[in-house]
Amino acid sequence: MIPIETQPRPTAEDNLRAIVSHDADGAIIVDSSGTVRFLNSAAEKLLDRHGAELHGQIFGFPLVVGERAEVEVLRPNGEFAVAEMRVLSIVWEGQDALLITLRDVTFERQAEAALREAEAFSIAILNSLTSEIVVLDKQGKIVAVNEAWLEFGRQNGVTDLASIGVGADYFAICAASGPGTGGPEALQGLQAVLAGQLAEFTYEYPCPGPQGMRWFALRAVPLRGERQGLVIAHNDITAQRRAAQIAAEAEMLREQVRQMERELVSVEAISRPDEMVRSLLAPLRQRDPERFQKGLSRYGELLEAALASRVHRTPAPSRPLRELGEWLGTIWAAPRDLIDIHLQAMRERSQHNPPKKLQAYFEEGRLILLELMGHLASYYRSIAAGELSSRESE
Amino acid sequence: MSKIVLHLYIAGQTPRAERAISTLRRMIEHELAGYNCELTIIDVLADPQQAENQKILATPTLIKSAPPPYRRVIGDLSSVTDLLNVLNLPPQS
Repeated sequence: MIPIETQPRPTAEDNLRAIVSHDADGAIIVDSSGTVRFLNSAAEKLLDRHGAELHGQIFGFPLVVGERAEVEVLRPNGEFAVAEMRVLSIVWEGQDALLITLRDVTFERQAEAALREAEAFSIAILNSLTSEIVVLDKQGKIVAVNEAWLEFGRQNGVTDLASIGVGADYFAICAASGPGTGGPEALQGLQAVLAGQLAEFTYEYPCPGPQGMRWFALRAVPLRGERQGLVIAHNDITAQRRAAQIAAEAEMLREQVRQMERELVSVEAISRPDEMVRSLLAPLRQRDPERFQKGLSRYGELLEAALASRVHRTPAPSRPLRELGEWLGTIWAAPRDLIDIHLQAMRERSQHNPPKKLQAYFEEGRLILLELMGHLASYYRSIAAGELSSRESE
Repeated sequence: MSKIVLHLYIAGQTPRAERAISTLRRMIEHELAGYNCELTIIDVLADPQQAENQKILATPTLIKSAPPPYRRVIGDLSSVTDLLNVLNLPPQS
C-alpha cells in the first residue's frame, strides 16, 4: 500500500480570505465593536496606510441605509478620497463579523461635480441672454430654458410654468395651437431643421398679450454636439414691426397723393404770383418753421378729435378741416408739406401709444390727410378761377 | 444621570455632513430630550491633527465616549433609529 498524502480541503473561510485578498475594491473586516481584523492590499492603498498599522484599531461600526453609503476616506497626508461603502455580515475566524468593501469613486464624483459646474455655466450663459431661449431634444421635448423665457410666460399669464418648462413637449404645444396662430407652420420648419433639410429656420408670428399684440421672431438652429436637438431663440420684434408699419404707411400715402399732387401742382402754378415762385420752392418746414409747427398743432388737434369721434361713434366736424386746408393754402403749402405734417404727427404718436391705438391714428390720419388735400386743391382751384376770370375780364 | 458625550467628525460642509448634523440635532432634541447631551463637531479639513490623534480613518464618524460602552460609528448617519440602536442610547438607568 502506498500511503496517499491528501491536502486538507479549503474551508469556506479560506475561500473568503482568498476572494477578499484579491478583490480590486478595498476590503476591511471588522468585528462587532468595529475593530479591524483584516484588510486587503486595495484597502491599504486606498487608505495609504500599512495593514499592520491598522490591525486591531477601531475603524468604526459601519452604518448603511439601503445598499450603500458614501464616506470620505482620510489619508495621513491630509488628502481624502470618496468611497462607496457596502457592508456584509460574515463569520470570520469563528466569530460574527462585518465585511466592509470600499470602492474608490473619487474620479466619478469629481467628474459629476465638473459636469454640474459645466451645466450651471451653460445655464448662466442662457440666463445672461435677453432673448427667450428654449432647447429641445430630437423628440421636441424641452430640455433647457432660460430665465427670460420663463419671465415671458409669467408676463403672459402662464401660472403653471412647468407647462412651458423643462420636460414640456414644445412640438405638441405648436401642433395644438391650431391654424392661424403660426404654430403648425413653425412646427414644420422646426422638424425640417431637425431632419437636416434646413440649416436654420426663422419665422415671425403674432402673440396677443395683456399689452396688446406683440410680434416675435423665432430662429431655430440645430444643437451642436453629441445630443441631437434644436436651440430656439425668440426675439420681441414689435418695435421693428411698428417702424416697418409706419414706413409702409408713409409709402402708401405718397402713392395715394401722387395723383392729387400732379393736379395741384398745375393749379398751384397758375394761381401763384410769379415773384413768389422762386422763394416757395423750399418745404414749409424749412422756409417757415413757425407756421409748420402751427399747422402741425392744428392737424394734431383734428386727429385727436377724429379719434374721439371714432370712439364715441359721432360724426367728426368737417368745418375746422376745411379751414385748416384754406389756411395752408394762404401760406402756399404744397402737398408734400401736408404729408410732412401728417408723418410728423404720426411719428410723435408712435412713441408712446399701443399698436391698436396707433392703428386707429393711421386710419383716421389717412382720411383727414386726403380730405385736407381736397380742401387745399379746392382753395387753389378757386384762386386759379379768380385769376382766370380777372385775366378774361382784362 | 451621566452625561452623553458625542463627537462628530466631518470633512467639510458636504451634503453627507449636513445630513449627519441634522440627524444628530433631531435625535438630541427629541429622543434624548431628557438627557444631558454634549455634541462637538470637528471638521477634519480644518483640524487634521485631531483626526489623526483619534485615528479617524473615514468621515462622517460619530464617537460616543460617554456613557460606556465606547462606540464608534461610520457611514450613513441619517437614521435616528439605527444610531440609537448602535450607540446603545438612551442609556439604561
